Amino acid sequence: MKKLQIRQLIEKIEGEAELDFTFNDGLIEDVKINFGFYRGIEEILKGKDARDALVITPRVCGICNHAHLLAAVRAIENGYENAGLKVNLSSKANDIREFTLACELIQNHVKWFYMTILPQLEAYIYQKSDENYAIKATYFASNITKALAIFAGQWPHSSYAVPGGVTCDPTHLDVMQAKSLIDESITFFEQVMTGLSLESYLNIDSVSDLHKIQGDLGKVLYKMGSHGMAKMGQSHDKFIVFGDCILSKPGKSIVTTVSNVDIRYVEEALQSGTVAKAVKYKNKLYEVGPLSRGMVAKTPIIKSFHKRYKDSLLTRVFARMHEVALLLDYNKKLLDNLQLDEPSCILDSDVGFYEFEGVGVVEAARGSLIHKTTVKCGVITNYDIITPTQWNLSHGTKDEQGVAIEAMIGSQSMEEATFIFRTFDVCSVCTTQ
Amino acid sequence: MITESYKPKLLWLQSITCNGNTHSFLNHPNLFSILSHFEIMHHPVLEGAYTMDDVIKGTVACDVLIVEGSFTETKFLKAGVEVSSLMKIYADKAKHIISAGTCATFGGIFKQKDPENISGFCFDLEEKTSRYVQYASKLISLPGCPVHPKWLSYVLLMIANNTKINIDNLHRPVELYGYTVHTGCTRNEYFEWKIDAKNFGLKEGCLFYEQGCQGPYTRGSCNKILWNDTSSKTRVGTPCFGCTEPNYPQESLFRTKTNMGIPAKMPLGIPRRAYLILTGVAKSFKIKRFSEKLLEYDK
Repeated sequence: MKKLQIRQLIEKIEGEAELDFTFNDGLIEDVKINFGFYRGIEEILKGKDARDALVITPRVCGICNHAHLLAAVRAIENGYENAGLKVNLSSKANDIREFTLACELIQNHVKWFYMTILPQLEAYIYQKSDENYAIKATYFASNITKALAIFAGQWPHSSYAVPGGVTCDPTHLDVMQAKSLIDESITFFEQVMTGLSLESYLNIDSVSDLHKIQGDLGKVLYKMGSHGMAKMGQSHDKFIVFGDCILSKPGKSIVTTVSNVDIRYVEEALQSGTVAKAVKYKNKLYEVGPLSRGMVAKTPIIKSFHKRYKDSLLTRVFARMHEVALLLDYNKKLLDNLQLDEPSCILDSDVGFYEFEGVGVVEAARGSLIHKTTVKCGVITNYDIITPTQWNLSHGTKDEQGVAIEAMIGSQSMEEATFIFRTFDVCSVCTTQ
Repeated sequence: MITESYKPKLLWLQSITCNGNTHSFLNHPNLFSILSHFEIMHHPVLEGAYTMDDVIKGTVACDVLIVEGSFTETKFLKAGVEVSSLMKIYADKAKHIISAGTCATFGGIFKQKDPENISGFCFDLEEKTSRYVQYASKLISLPGCPVHPKWLSYVLLMIANNTKINIDNLHRPVELYGYTVHTGCTRNEYFEWKIDAKNFGLKEGCLFYEQGCQGPYTRGSCNKILWNDTSSKTRVGTPCFGCTEPNYPQESLFRTKTNMGIPAKMPLGIPRRAYLILTGVAKSFKIKRFSEKLLEYDK
């Protein structure tokens, strides 16, 4: 029995992390995940006007800033509701918010696929190609963020969602331009990523039909399958979702049983050796993200993957890419049905509430994002942000290892373990907000 | 276009950041043709010639250094090495230093966590830091939260073409920051005639009077060179938050501070008296068109 400890810097995860691997007899037996620097967004918010969170919190993260904006505005709206003001968004405002958030998820997933998964996979299996995957990622992402910016003004770092709705009042001209950009994105998905029409792709509901998927996604699935990776990277098989969105309702899934959740049972705790806080639900660890949404929503193709490959990295990677198709389809429908003659914002700028507590939940690219705001005399006295990556990268309890750590344990090499790590779409900046 | 001549070596180094500048630049529709003028040594997300471990050793060559994120002398480490010492190594080597974003330029949002110790790279708000003298001759400031992709590409291409970039006293390129965000705003008519927006979510009205818009006194060409080639905050009815300015972020960003009903802060360079006279004249007329909806649709 020979123990060996190695520390490795992991980069290109929206920042960096250091992983301490413990090998025992050639297999990884433990991993410590360390993040270096706490930026203190929650503290910066204290003493500021409640709505300033709409500008400050997107700066938690350059890649999921829009999710932070929506969590922040929902926290304020929930606070108003708790103080006795019912906030009924117009369907127009609601649909525009849904659209822009979906655009952000899509750009995230496609960037991750081309800039992380494809090159890292090729490096891991020693089949490095000379193809410029990043040019595909940025072509696609700049298209879809342009569609987002038609409504939100810009991406990253828009603050166009305000209590009661959105600041924009789009015209048919705007909607047409957005439609054209979504159509271009769908064409990319069809011709470059899958070799299938979006409709045919969405009809796939079983792993026995996976061979139909060609393109870059087909290539990744094939390479993972043919290199013995289909069952690698399994974790606790416990999933949780707090947001309510097109991809999933709130709930938790343990192996295959889905049940209700209550956000009041979410607990945050400091961890030694890192500035990232741990998150648990009723003292148990859960995975969040696209795979969790697929499991809680019982999406047929995700269930089919899970049945054969469990919560492996293959299932996890596929679940994320599958959301691209679901969200492109959703966005097309949202634009087709957008009611432009409704009001954009139903609340006055000053609604007269200066003391409230509210919670905002969003299903962000990496999973459930929670903002909690406490406001007294109009200013923030406490702000709490729980990010998706905190769930997946928690160190663990005395009973169970952290979610990503559990997935890495048993790996034969650091290369294997770090590839598994990256399949969680790790975000360093969100973890250490 | 792929050319074989010497390419300046580009290193993008992050300090205390959200990665927003990195992702903003990825939106540039001509990203790879711009980058083709350079040899990428290391970048936070794009593939480069060297790993972060190499960069940390301090041995990587660097002609153009892009700094992202606000800055502290101590306690911000990558793999056990102070980022401030890394910045020094590469800033000394570089022929050009670009501070990309407000954090790197003036300190930005993250400065507010620890105002005593966190600053921009060569400026702390508007004050020069101790590093300024050493790097002033090669420094370009590109404030913005985040940096505008087109503004960054302009500077990179000017460097690649060996063209002198004219800058102001805070080292901002005058061609980008000579304008205010107000310039080119589609709500300008409402500003001219002092018509305030009645709420968020409306096409009509100017956001300067009630909603906190800082466009008239914020430097930047957001409404000349649009975001994502498409729009801007004010074009979608969001106030400008002054994110390019040294004192960003200010407080109460969705509310205009007023004195006696007049915005407390005047448009850039406008004397209060001139503003009041013009306002008095403009408000003495009732223009019917401005009391109506901008666009009328058939029901």
